[in-house]
Amino acid sequence: MSKPHYDLEHHVKKATGIGDPQCFKGEAGDPRFKVGDKVKIRDLPDVFYTRTQAYTRGCEATVVRLVYETPPAEDEAWDNTENVEWMYSLLFKQKDLWPEYADAFSQDTLETEIPEHWLEPA
Amino acid sequence: MADKHKAAPMVDEVSEFEILEIAVRELAIEKGLFTQEDHNAWTDYMHTLSPVPAARLVAKAWLDPEYKKLAIEDGVKASLEVGIDWVKQMPTQFGTPSDYCNLRVMADTPTLKHVVVCTLCSCYPRPILGQSPEWYRTPNYRRRLVRWPRQVLSEFGLQIPDDVEVRVVDSNQKTRYIVMPERPEGTEGWTEDQLTEIVTRDCLIGVALPKPGKTANDPRPVRKALKPYGH
Repeated sequence: MSKPHYDLEHHVKKATGIGDPQCFKGEAGDPRFKVGDKVKIRDLPDVFYTRTQAYTRGCEATVVRLVYETPPAEDEAWDNTENVEWMYSLLFKQKDLWPEYADAFSQDTLETEIPEHWLEPA
Repeated sequence: MADKHKAAPMVDEVSEFEILEIAVRELAIEKGLFTQEDHNAWTDYMHTLSPVPAARLVAKAWLDPEYKKLAIEDGVKASLEVGIDWVKQMPTQFGTPSDYCNLRVMADTPTLKHVVVCTLCSCYPRPILGQSPEWYRTPNYRRRLVRWPRQVLSEFGLQIPDDVEVRVVDSNQKTRYIVMPERPEGTEGWTEDQLTEIVTRDCLIGVALPKPGKTANDPRPVRKALKPYGH
């Protein structure tokens, strides 16, 4: 069997002693959104792999923190680390996620992280 | 009769996920990605971690407002002060694909209660909390907590008042989370060691609240069997 052409050690070399996602710091360029921005989760195809939960698709949320820079899970699952992007921590209203969520608890929220290419301005 | 007696097999069944794990592990070893010794070292390391460092982090933050600010801003840096280096302490020196080096400490307030889940798998801040409890990995907890958080918390015996905001944190990417609950009443003048004892694992996941007298080492309740066998 011929040897694989990719470098199995490249993540090890990059992340050792630095940590992941720290090793991608500074590679994403300017962030598209800032804290306080209202965004909407796009409904992109996810044939192979994603970590953007189906329940967030099409919902609006508020940016609460720009957490770190990283290749998105969709790429990293295939060992592709070329497209580093900003990861946003987003705050959702539970009422927006689950229409049947009790009105009595309309103050309840959910926080989770979504990579930049999944977001559009709301 | 003795000749008819056969010892029952110790393991009745192996799940498909266990078979998958063994298959992938053996392939990885055969391919030279890591050795069985690496695997043993990692497993040993992981299974000897405990929630104590995270409990101490919370106790320190209760006592020191400056440290609390640091914990909320940079959990990885704050972990160093309780003896946990997310990057260099791990056998790999960079975490693993399931333990990325980004910790966030979610601070409760009188009007905000956090609770952590990983709906997509079972992401858990192992470097500072040790192995996750079995229930944390079940589809039951993962599917229901995001949708019916108050109901699930009440199943843990935790009733959240109506005027408090419940915030579910879904650990879906590279950040791992612990909850910093409010310091309970009745702990005035306590030392860091005393406070550390009441911050149990469940408090750090967010499904329980710390209270004086309730520690991780409490004796377990013993209930006598209704129909004891052979006595």
